Amino acid sequence: MAELVIKEVTKAFNKGTINEKTALDDLSLTLEKGDFVTVIGSNGAGKSSLLNAIAGLWPVDKGRIWLAGQDLTGLPDYQRAALIGRVFQDPMLGTAASMTIEENLALAAKRGMRRGLKKALTYQRRKQMKEELAKLGLGLENRLITPVGLLSGGQRQALTLLMAIYQEPQLLLLDEHTAALDPKTGEVVLKLTKNIVESLKLTTIMVTHNIKDALKIGNRTIMMHEGRIVLDISGPQREQMTTEDILRLFAETSGSQFSNDRMLLVQ
Amino acid sequence: MFINLNLLLGATELGLIYAIMALGVYLTFRTLDFPDLTVDGSFTLGAAVSAVLIAGGHSPWLGLLLAPVAGILAGLATGVLHTRFKITPLLAGILTMTALYSVNLRVMGKANVPLLGLPSIYDTLARSGIPEKYAVLAFGVGCVVLLVFLLYWLFQTELGLALRATGDNETMIKSLGINGNSMKLLGLGLGNGLVALSGAAIAQFQGFADMSMGIGMIIAGLASVIIGEVLLGSRSLLRVLIAVVGGSVVYRVIIAIVLRLGFQATDMKLFTAALVVLALTVPQFRGKQEYDSLRR
Repeated sequence: MAELVIKEVTKAFNKGTINEKTALDDLSLTLEKGDFVTVIGSNGAGKSSLLNAIAGLWPVDKGRIWLAGQDLTGLPDYQRAALIGRVFQDPMLGTAASMTIEENLALAAKRGMRRGLKKALTYQRRKQMKEELAKLGLGLENRLITPVGLLSGGQRQALTLLMAIYQEPQLLLLDEHTAALDPKTGEVVLKLTKNIVESLKLTTIMVTHNIKDALKIGNRTIMMHEGRIVLDISGPQREQMTTEDILRLFAETSGSQFSNDRMLLVQ
Repeated sequence: MFINLNLLLGATELGLIYAIMALGVYLTFRTLDFPDLTVDGSFTLGAAVSAVLIAGGHSPWLGLLLAPVAGILAGLATGVLHTRFKITPLLAGILTMTALYSVNLRVMGKANVPLLGLPSIYDTLARSGIPEKYAVLAFGVGCVVLLVFLLYWLFQTELGLALRATGDNETMIKSLGINGNSMKLLGLGLGNGLVALSGAAIAQFQGFADMSMGIGMIIAGLASVIIGEVLLGSRSLLRVLIAVVGGSVVYRVIIAIVLRLGFQATDMKLFTAALVVLALTVPQFRGKQEYDSLRR
């Protein structure tokens, strides 16, 4: 069985009201182990909803989701977290601002495990943290007892990324995690992401606002529109694809213009 | 002398016993970021349980030990209202507090249970060799040191980190596999357990349990926490816990002085409320840590 199987999942918000919105429409998607899939689409296409459905933020209306052979469909988000690492778009969401770097990492080190009355920070664990933090190349290994609230957005996002993979997850979900950063910092975090995912061969889904990045990074790209997958490319077909091709394909399949207020169209 | 040693001793004794309550308020309000109004009811509940047991001929220590059990249950009630029935924190606390009014009256059987002539924990301490004058002080210091140590230790365990993170960032804790609802139940249970313990110790100290003794307790606790943080800061975990205890003592000293100035005891609630309003509105008092859950 494939690593991640999403079968005919539907999710509508505000059902039965005039504001009803179908976020996911009978969507199916299968990922093999080690797949690094980038997701693009215009505003409201259902990209974040796809990640939230997998992470279990809310129950889906219809369909099933399996990860690593386990049926996730009925599980609440905090139980699915044992298998899934997440990085959010908002750097504030992934870390506890009032707690120190080492405390945040100690929380991440026990992701999905029982938390007991053992001391959270030991000499051994601090040593391991320093080694892992050093790999980020941001100097955070010397600031273990700095409250995370004092870090910059980019530093927080890099830390969140490290926290998401500190206990190796079966699946890594990245929701436009560089969108809120300035371009240069975003580039650094993206490079870190690429290195980490590739070295650990993590099965990953990354939503991005940057079509160029989406085609450059990972081994597969899907485009979403109105809760469905309208394009799914990999291999040579993907390698030859340009931003213009994507925009043209989008116009053809959806009959509308690609619009995303964060989308970067520049080459 | 206007401020004499006896006034200071009395205020310190009260401050230390009430500090147990302030630590509970710190746990819910600050650590969990849950403005929990159960406190007014659970304080009286602790006093009631303790007083009824003593009046029924049981050991005052049994009264002291069972009070927090009742307090934990009260905290869990608020927790269930919030986590299970999705009632906002403020209303969940008010509902439990209101229900506890009836429960407390049932427990006590009447509005006031006098303990005159009955043994208290302070009597047994005095009999074990501690000078009678300092029995209350000894209990207060011992109890507070033990609790500060226990909370400091708890906050550094894996579970304690999860508890603290729950009050900081709920999105994050879920993504790390922490059940936020369990953490809230844990925090509310522990917090109200401490509040009830304080109520039991106060009842034995003043020699009665009374239906109205918990009124305004939450504001007094909050005032203690704020005074402590302003005076002693909150730079480290241990420091903030000590600050809460210090804040409670300072608060009782201030109250004693204000009473000495000629105000009535019944004016103190107004005074305390004004103190908290001042602390929440004067920017330099707020310092680095904003009371987000208390301001809009």
